[in-house]
Amino acid sequence: MNNLARFNLAKQVKLYITKGIQDVLRLNSKLKIGMLILLVISALAILEPVINQAILGPISPITPGIFKPLLKPSREHLLGTDLLGRDLLALSLHGLKYSFLIGIVAGFLSSFIGIVIGFISGYKGGIYDSILRTITDFMIIIPTWPILAILATYIKFMRIEGLAMILAIFTWPLSARIIRGQVLSLKERPYVDLAKVTNLSDFEIIFLELMPNILPYIGVGIGNSVIGAVLAETGLEVIGLGPGNIVTLGTLLNWALGFGAVIMGNWNILIAPVLFLISIFLSFNLVNVGLDEIYNPRLKKVTGE
Amino acid sequence: MKRRSLVTWLLTRIGWYILTLWSAVTVAFITFRLVPGNPIGAYVTQLMQQGKYEINPVEAEKLINEYKKTFGLEGDLLTQYICYFKEVIFHHNLGVSFISFPTPVQVLIIRALPWTIALLSETTVFSWLLGNIIGIIVGWKRGTKVDSVVTSLALVFSQIPYYIVAVVLILLFVYITGTLPPRGAYSSTLYPEFSLTFFLDVAYHAVLPSLSLILVGLCGWLISMRSLAVSILGEDYLLFAQAKGLKEHRILSRYLFRNALLPQITGLAIALGSIVNGAYLVEYVFNYPGMGYLFVTALGRLDYNTIQGCVMLTIFTVLTAILLIDITYPLLDPRIRYGGE
Amino acid sequence: MEKVKLLEVKNLKVYYNSIWGDYKSVDDVSFIAYEGEVLSIAGESGCGKSTLVDGILGLIKPPGYIPSGEVIFEGKDLLKLSSEELRKIRWTKIAYVPQGAMNSLNPVIKIEEQMIDSILDHTNISREEARKLAISRLKEVGLPVEVAEMYPHELSGGMKQRVIIATAIALKPKLVIADEPTTALDVVAQKGILQLLRSLKEDYGITVIVVSHDFAVHAQIADRIAIMYAGKIVEVGPIYDVFKNPLHPYTKGLISSIPVIGKSYIKGIPGLAPSPLNWPSGCRFHPRCPFASEKCRNVEPILKEFNSERYVACHLSR
Ligand SMILES: Nc1ncnc2c1ncn2[C@@H]1O[C@H](COP(=O)(O)OP(=O)(O)OP(=O)(O)O)[C@@H](O)[C@H]1O
Ligand code: SF4
Ligand SMILES: [Mg+2]
Repeated sequence: MNNLARFNLAKQVKLYITKGIQDVLRLNSKLKIGMLILLVISALAILEPVINQAILGPISPITPGIFKPLLKPSREHLLGTDLLGRDLLALSLHGLKYSFLIGIVAGFLSSFIGIVIGFISGYKGGIYDSILRTITDFMIIIPTWPILAILATYIKFMRIEGLAMILAIFTWPLSARIIRGQVLSLKERPYVDLAKVTNLSDFEIIFLELMPNILPYIGVGIGNSVIGAVLAETGLEVIGLGPGNIVTLGTLLNWALGFGAVIMGNWNILIAPVLFLISIFLSFNLVNVGLDEIYNPRLKKVTGE
Repeated sequence: MKRRSLVTWLLTRIGWYILTLWSAVTVAFITFRLVPGNPIGAYVTQLMQQGKYEINPVEAEKLINEYKKTFGLEGDLLTQYICYFKEVIFHHNLGVSFISFPTPVQVLIIRALPWTIALLSETTVFSWLLGNIIGIIVGWKRGTKVDSVVTSLALVFSQIPYYIVAVVLILLFVYITGTLPPRGAYSSTLYPEFSLTFFLDVAYHAVLPSLSLILVGLCGWLISMRSLAVSILGEDYLLFAQAKGLKEHRILSRYLFRNALLPQITGLAIALGSIVNGAYLVEYVFNYPGMGYLFVTALGRLDYNTIQGCVMLTIFTVLTAILLIDITYPLLDPRIRYGGE
Repeated sequence: MEKVKLLEVKNLKVYYNSIWGDYKSVDDVSFIAYEGEVLSIAGESGCGKSTLVDGILGLIKPPGYIPSGEVIFEGKDLLKLSSEELRKIRWTKIAYVPQGAMNSLNPVIKIEEQMIDSILDHTNISREEARKLAISRLKEVGLPVEVAEMYPHELSGGMKQRVIIATAIALKPKLVIADEPTTALDVVAQKGILQLLRSLKEDYGITVIVVSHDFAVHAQIADRIAIMYAGKIVEVGPIYDVFKNPLHPYTKGLISSIPVIGKSYIKGIPGLAPSPLNWPSGCRFHPRCPFASEKCRNVEPILKEFNSERYVACHLSR
């Protein structure tokens, strides 16, 4: 490669990045809205201690009997209180924090496992691929939620990390499949051959050549894993199988159902958990779809790859 | 020659099926037994706590051993394993339920299954049909206002878990009609029979659960159909169909819909195969006496054998559905022939 | 012989919008196709040939768009027609043999059904008559009757190409545009397809536009040739004259790079094809032209008449 070509390449890359960022900000409204919701949720989750300090002072929002039970929404209690006299807004924020935290930790763990397995499977090929792919397909085919539920039944007390780990073990296969597919298709591209000819190590090829191209898919993988983890965790909690020591949005739904809030029409008990959950699912999904639209193959064709 | 390879292919495929089935049930079985905690012990403790029986520790120990025998938990893992599957395969016996003692699990399942099948086959087929039709239309009209509105809405709904939609629907129902929505599968005053009254009652009870399942399911099918349609719209044969000046409805039905439908049929078959799963949480929310409800209550009360039976059945039907699709798919798609190339 | 204009393309531009800017794949192209001739459009891969064809046929899809230009066919501007008017002209008047013939047949529908579809949507004949017509066209292009009942994956590349041509001539159109009809075929199949295309003109009087990057193709069938470079037409003329005495430096380079049996030395054109995102200034060929001057770098040459039959866009020629 002569200097001129190198220079053009650098220019092209710079153009690509700046245009890409502009595109994110300007063109793709799905990504933008998704990011916005995500930002609000994370802010609420991170600021939960501060907000609840302001609402309740130093008392934990899950302590029962602080206020009168079943108060209607009012100036003091924006969403009212529940059967055990807890402020519903504070409680929901607390649930949001843990649901979000578990989702993020489990999602990242799960996509980490998925990425490693997908990379080995796609890049190494051969026997590694056969074995890993069989395991992945197997995990995707068999219904794992019941098995997860059974595990949860017997583990009544768990730390967040433990729960996240278990969730991750059951949700990694989807991202592994996505990443494997991408690695396989990228491996066929000429620049990887070029890199091989020039004697780069596997490590260098993966991190210098493949990684940058797979980044958006990793983003999509993480998004999917977070959604999967929150979905599984909430499902467990709703039927009362989550670890008893962690209160998440699912736990709140379980309490509400158990108390009969749905049937009695106590919307104020349900609204915050329902909205928060929908926002979590929606935001990650919008970001995923947005990324997909930006990096979809049809647009890539324009670069003449 | 061709015939022989077909037979070989079928045999390999079925062998593969048996292998997967075997490993899946084995993994599930072992997971059950390795789970920390002792289900019988937990059960006996539960009985004691409920104050049903006055039991001293020595008696409790005896009782536990007694139960272990009844529930097939005697001996080491291998003995239990062989014993369990011998019963399952030769006697179609899934063991005795803990909570509905001494009813065998298969009886509970047979009681729950019709409700689940009725509810889920209806909702799966409905949402599949509607989702595909709307999906193909918005795919065809991609980039228009209609497309962006419908697709964004579908995107939102497809991401909401069924049971949350169910909760919202019930709340709305309470507010709009001022009465409680129906719970269960039929009114407790009626007795299951083949009569119009009973049938209408069942249908009435199924409205809200169906609606929550259809709303979400439909949006999922819509999204996948739309993206299939969009990718087919980029295919050369579609461009050629347009260059041929074919009428729009013909392109839509014969070139776009037909080709996009094939993968969706696979999806439908898998969805139908997973029906016996039940819709755990929707059934739970509506007290609908199907498989999902059975499973969730069994989980809640540590009904070991029932849980195990439900999972085994699910694994079996899902894998069988996939096998059946693999075998029939080449009949639908002329490109794919039995035996690979 | 009086030449009648069948298709006239005037100052056609076709751009693809992207986040990196517009790809000016076809940038101000004008040419004429006369009735009953075989016109070739030649040029390197990526110079915009397929885009030009799609533009003429109204097949440009977003992100592609046509900023300006006219495509006049039998006195009407195709670009101004409603989609229903355009639909009626397609196949009855103008048929198309697309570049990706391999993938242009619907994989899950039988060959005859695909042919019948295109007949039924443009005529009032019965399904049975349409089937007969389809089968007779298959015979005319030299395919066995059994092909009618087959699926695309059961045919070889050459056979698929013939099926497409049979479909194209089903309604005896006035114009057939074939995009890379021989690429991806073996030599024997290539020869057959070229003879078949030539016979469309000779037997049916159909005007044929053949697009290819392969000069050997044009040498075998064309009456006239238009050379395309970087989204523009740089030279037009009767094929024999252009081969014997190329005027544009790019054409010269191309012709000397045709493999000639017995000579092992093939001279190519040095340098890379430019990108439609960023065409070179002045004459788009100047970075690769051995005769480039200061003027070439700054002033864009226009397509000028060289004699009554030949046109060229180069500052050297006057
Ligand atoms: N759908 C599209 N979106 C964006 N750019 C496109 C698209 N199709 C073609 N292009 C660009 O337009 C230019 C011309 O493409 P075109 O296919 O017309 O070339 P061609 O001369 O037919 O080449 P070939 O011989 O490879 O068929 C290419 O550089 C390509 O990058
Ligand atoms: S105009 Fe100049 S650069 Fe272009 S072809 Fe002619 S001589 Fe070469
Ligand atoms: Mg082309």
